[in-house]
Amino acid sequence: MALAWLLAIPLAGAAATGAARRRAWMEFIYCLGAGAALAASAFLAAAVLSGGPVSFLNGFLYADALSALVTLLTCAVWAFSAPYTVGYLRGAQPAGAPARLGIRELRLYYALSHLFVFTLLGVSLTGNLGIMWVALEGATLASVFLVAFYGKPTSLEAAWKYAIIGGVGLSMALFGTILTYYAAFEGTGMETWEALNWPFLIAAAPSFNPLVMRLAFILVLLGYGAKAGLAPMHTWKPDAYSEAPAPAAAMMATAMLNCALYGLGRFFLLSARATGPGMPSKLLIVFGILSIAIATPFILVQKSYRRLLAYSSIEHCGIITLSIGFGGPLGSLGAVLHMAFHSLAKPLLFFSAGNAQQHTGDDSLRNTAGGLVHALPWSGAALFAAVLAVTGTPPFPLFLSEFTMLRAGFAQGHAWASITAVILLVLIFSGMFGHAARLLLGPVPDLPAGDRNRWTVYPLAVLSVVLLVLAFWIPAPLSSLLAQAASLLEVKP
Amino acid sequence: MTATVLHAVLQGLLLLLLSPLLSGLIRTAKARLQTRRGPSPLQPYRDLGKLLRKGMVIPETASPVFAAAPFVVFSTTLLAGLLAPTVFAAAPLSQFGGVLALVYLLGLGRFFLALAALDTGSAFGGMGSSREMTIAALAEPALMLAVFTVALTAGSTDPSRMAQAAIGQSWRFLAPSQMLAFTALFVVLLAETGRIPVDNPATHLELTMIHEAMILEYSGPWLALIEWSASIKQMVLLTLLANLFIPFTLASAPGVPAILSAAALYLLKLLLLAAAVVLVETTNAKMRLFRVPELLSVAFVLGALALISTFLFGGR
Amino acid sequence: MPLLSDPIFGQTMITLMAAIVLVLQITLVAQKSLVSSIYVFALQSFLLAAIAGTIAWFTGAGHIYMAAVLTFLLKSLLLPAILIRLVEQIRIEHEMKPLLNVPVSVVISGMLTLLAYVVAEPLQQQMSFGSPSSLGHNTLPVAVALFLIGFFLIANRRKALSQVLALLSLENGLFLAAISLTYGMPLIVELGVFFDVLVAVLVLTILVGRIREAFDSMDVTRLSRLRG
Repeated sequence: MALAWLLAIPLAGAAATGAARRRAWMEFIYCLGAGAALAASAFLAAAVLSGGPVSFLNGFLYADALSALVTLLTCAVWAFSAPYTVGYLRGAQPAGAPARLGIRELRLYYALSHLFVFTLLGVSLTGNLGIMWVALEGATLASVFLVAFYGKPTSLEAAWKYAIIGGVGLSMALFGTILTYYAAFEGTGMETWEALNWPFLIAAAPSFNPLVMRLAFILVLLGYGAKAGLAPMHTWKPDAYSEAPAPAAAMMATAMLNCALYGLGRFFLLSARATGPGMPSKLLIVFGILSIAIATPFILVQKSYRRLLAYSSIEHCGIITLSIGFGGPLGSLGAVLHMAFHSLAKPLLFFSAGNAQQHTGDDSLRNTAGGLVHALPWSGAALFAAVLAVTGTPPFPLFLSEFTMLRAGFAQGHAWASITAVILLVLIFSGMFGHAARLLLGPVPDLPAGDRNRWTVYPLAVLSVVLLVLAFWIPAPLSSLLAQAASLLEVKP
Repeated sequence: MTATVLHAVLQGLLLLLLSPLLSGLIRTAKARLQTRRGPSPLQPYRDLGKLLRKGMVIPETASPVFAAAPFVVFSTTLLAGLLAPTVFAAAPLSQFGGVLALVYLLGLGRFFLALAALDTGSAFGGMGSSREMTIAALAEPALMLAVFTVALTAGSTDPSRMAQAAIGQSWRFLAPSQMLAFTALFVVLLAETGRIPVDNPATHLELTMIHEAMILEYSGPWLALIEWSASIKQMVLLTLLANLFIPFTLASAPGVPAILSAAALYLLKLLLLAAAVVLVETTNAKMRLFRVPELLSVAFVLGALALISTFLFGGR
Repeated sequence: MPLLSDPIFGQTMITLMAAIVLVLQITLVAQKSLVSSIYVFALQSFLLAAIAGTIAWFTGAGHIYMAAVLTFLLKSLLLPAILIRLVEQIRIEHEMKPLLNVPVSVVISGMLTLLAYVVAEPLQQQMSFGSPSSLGHNTLPVAVALFLIGFFLIANRRKALSQVLALLSLENGLFLAAISLTYGMPLIVELGVFFDVLVAVLVLTILVGRIREAFDSMDVTRLSRLRG
């Protein structure tokens, strides 16, 4: 039942936003919904920890530790981004967009954001792989308008690319899902919708036709990989992330990425059981390394910091994929940890960069005069901390997860992949660090003092504190949730 | 042996006697569909008779090729006709060659016709043969692909075997490879027999004519031979189309009633196909010459798809 | 055996319709006019619905009827109507100007069909044919071919609206795969997919309209300001 309630929160929020007449009500509904969802997802995680997987309506909705973790992360990102969204939409809008957002635009934005969260929660909370696809496609459609929100020519271009690549990618994933259903249908004779339910599938997977599952996995990897932004299907990402409003981009870069990788992980487990882990793991490793490698040069020579964040997101998508591909207890733990920490570090980066962009009206790294930290003390500091965090600098927790990932690589005999990854990560660190230094440090710029808006500053402070605390102390329930999720993501013979 | 000779003679007579009627019927039906009265279906016989009785004018520049061409065209076409099964599942000369021989006998006839048209040195002849060859070069691959598709399913390039192999299988003519090959071959038929939308057999307009331009210099009995062989060629191609794809009506058992019913059904199939040709001719306008390659490439693609789909659906 | 209960007849009809669906897909590749493309797509969807209906008739499964009716209503009536209305509303040029010319595109489509055969053949090897439960299984290569040609179409089109059409035809390939392999996805998933397709078309048409307003063109090659 808790599963249905959790899904009902954003849906009710969307309906209430549609009916709301005033800006303040919409903002209140948005923050209230986010808070309620976070509480409900924590409750769900606690229930899963204490009583094992929960399911509702014959497994139509289903949550084990892995899905509870992804759900919790989605809700956490939403909860952090909700107050920031309020502040961001009250602030100055980019050139080419209406100077002040009207009530209709706001209603569209808030209602679509609710729907976007609804579909993302649908991905992680359904036990049916077919419905999971439906939800992920829904997430794409809901977020297309978030990307096109400002209505500028460049936003439309980004939204179009996103919609077409997303649509094509997801159609491949649908083909993979159809083939999986066929394998289940042929292997077990099951012909109802329950044949796509996760517990049934994973138990029956060894009887699936390996050939069919191999093809299915390749298709799903390309499809959900495109959604997550794995190279070479990543080209929509820089455009979409730089054109969407910063909080929406943050949601896409964390919650949606998690959901797509979560779906990919489920199919990985299935095909690893059906065909043996060799081929699926290799594919994940190849795509993971490729994503990190393709992101590196673009990070090094990047001209715009919003696009920089997108390439960083491609890199992290590659890291998580690589870690799943390495496999073993360490690999899956690294993947789960990285998913969790990245979901907290990336919003910090997006929010502080969004503040900077909103204050200067430009997101160029070339035209910057530097010294942004003087004008924006809070956002500047947060941006610096976030850059350190996402590049995996100790003491930030992403160091821990990347280190776990690399250990897994060496432990599982993928030394070359690990060494390549280390080199690339160092390059990316230097690139990101250099860009951040050029942007933030330097003489006092000719800018008015910023960071006046509490709504856009407090979330940064809270997020930074949470990140730093997690570096030294992970609460016991969270750590057991992570451990359980990691063991679910591990391929067991 | 005597049976084969008798069979060959009878089939030869059938082609010789019936092909002008078929052309005439098509012409009449076309006129009726266009609400004209049109000539009688027997008009081609009268034309042939008249031409055979007339004297000839031979261009001064003509070489022996010009004189040989009508006979070559006539004999190759008739020979090709004897390679195709008409009433019986077995063609009279099936030991001598398969469908490839048939296609290339027709090709030989066309080659001589084009040569003769060039031989006279007139501008129209050259233009006609260049156009004819262009179209032939495009139509031939499509034709071969379609024929190979049928040959592949039957496991033989002998048209008699191809027809026999198809007799027993129910619904085979609805198989995609067969349907696609049939469509491709039908388009090729339109091109090869100089029908609208490729060529207009009823016009002598300089800009558009193809077949008529080639035979412009011929007169008298030689013209009659060429016209006659054009009719025979049309009938042979229609026969091929009818019997390769809808072979169930072919007589395989001896006996007068079986042969008679097979003959009647054969004529019926020819009439139906001729009706389809008439329908296409009346509902379409003639294409510009430059558009004809597009039409033929459609036929080619259909033929290629037919060939692919024999694998695609595994013949299952 | 009466015609309408002879599974061999059913198999033949399904195969034939699948082949026509493939021919229509190649027609889409060769087609230059946007409006006729929409009609071709409608016809293709209608044939898919007919295939689904035939399979439903011979297997007696109720939910496939549902899928057939939904396909017919949604893909062969509603979506073409929406697209045609959009074409009329924003008065776009009807020529689609593909990147590669028609003969090359058609040849590529033929090669993709062969590739589809290569991909699907090993799967088909393992299937059992001849039993009543194998009805329609042999259309898998066509489904894969539709899918691949759909990809090529998206890449080969400049106009935003024709990309939408290509995406829809790609989706048709998926439907054929689902219907021929497993007699349709489970109904609830199928409903979700239909809903998503409908919403996707609405979203994309709105986007097309806005692109048209902003760029005064539907040519997506003009959408090239974002780089790097």
